[in-house]
Amino acid sequence: MTDADLIARVLSREDQHAFAELVRRYQSPVRAFLARMTRGDTHLADDLAQETFVKAWKKLDTYRGGSKFSTWLFGIAVNEFRDVARQRKELSLEEIDQVAPEENQSAADTRSQLRLDLTEALKRLHSGERAAIVLCCQNGLTHEEAAQALECPLGTVKTNVMRGKEKLKRWLLGYQDYEPA
Amino acid sequence: MNQPETTDPVERLLQEQNQYVNDDGFTARVVAALPRRRRTWPRQIVLLGAAAIGSVLVAQWMPWMNLPSIDLSALFAVNFQALVPWMTIVLVVASIAWAVVAALQWDD
Repeated sequence: MTDADLIARVLSREDQHAFAELVRRYQSPVRAFLARMTRGDTHLADDLAQETFVKAWKKLDTYRGGSKFSTWLFGIAVNEFRDVARQRKELSLEEIDQVAPEENQSAADTRSQLRLDLTEALKRLHSGERAAIVLCCQNGLTHEEAAQALECPLGTVKTNVMRGKEKLKRWLLGYQDYEPA
Repeated sequence: MNQPETTDPVERLLQEQNQYVNDDGFTARVVAALPRRRRTWPRQIVLLGAAAIGSVLVAQWMPWMNLPSIDLSALFAVNFQALVPWMTIVLVVASIAWAVVAALQWDD
């Protein structure tokens, strides 16, 4: 059954089973996205994800089908994150720790110390860059879809993806040797 | 959400580390937290309809010609007999205005 079929069932019959199927389909990308955005606070991410789906349930009649359901859902998730980030300094855009790893260490230990774990490297990104990277590079959204979900200009998304990737390349020095499993 | 193939090592790394999050009862928790869905448009229509009907009734039935002239001294003297007609009109108009605003700003 397609997303559109499930949405139609929810709207016409208030079918909770149909909505549960939608939640099952999208819980992983939404929770993973919010976990990245909250810098690994999985409890907070799950609370935000739950609120995202509850809001989606309430507002489903406003979903016009002009974009993919996942894009619409990510848009709600982004707003949920922004609401919390406004109240929590450690999550807010302005307070993101952008300190790059020290780059003037001795050659011997530089490589091992600078080879940041990807998760840690993502945490260091500005939240706008992190959101754009996670949506586009991990969840397969196009730049246009990410711009729609993030409610920002297309150019901003492209810049954030480019800058984010440049920073990740710099921080993850071993990326050149990376061979996918 | 399938990913297109990429040659960028960082993108490959990002895709590789994008692991599936097990449900672990999450869907059940969400479903348990779902409120009853409320359709907003019938409520808006009811409110706007009530406001429209109220406006028509007020325009039709209010004794506009027989209203006492506005007397500020009655207000300060708390002379209710002189104020009642005007207070009624103010209340009715305020109620209609509230209904219109509530209908237009309705948000679940």
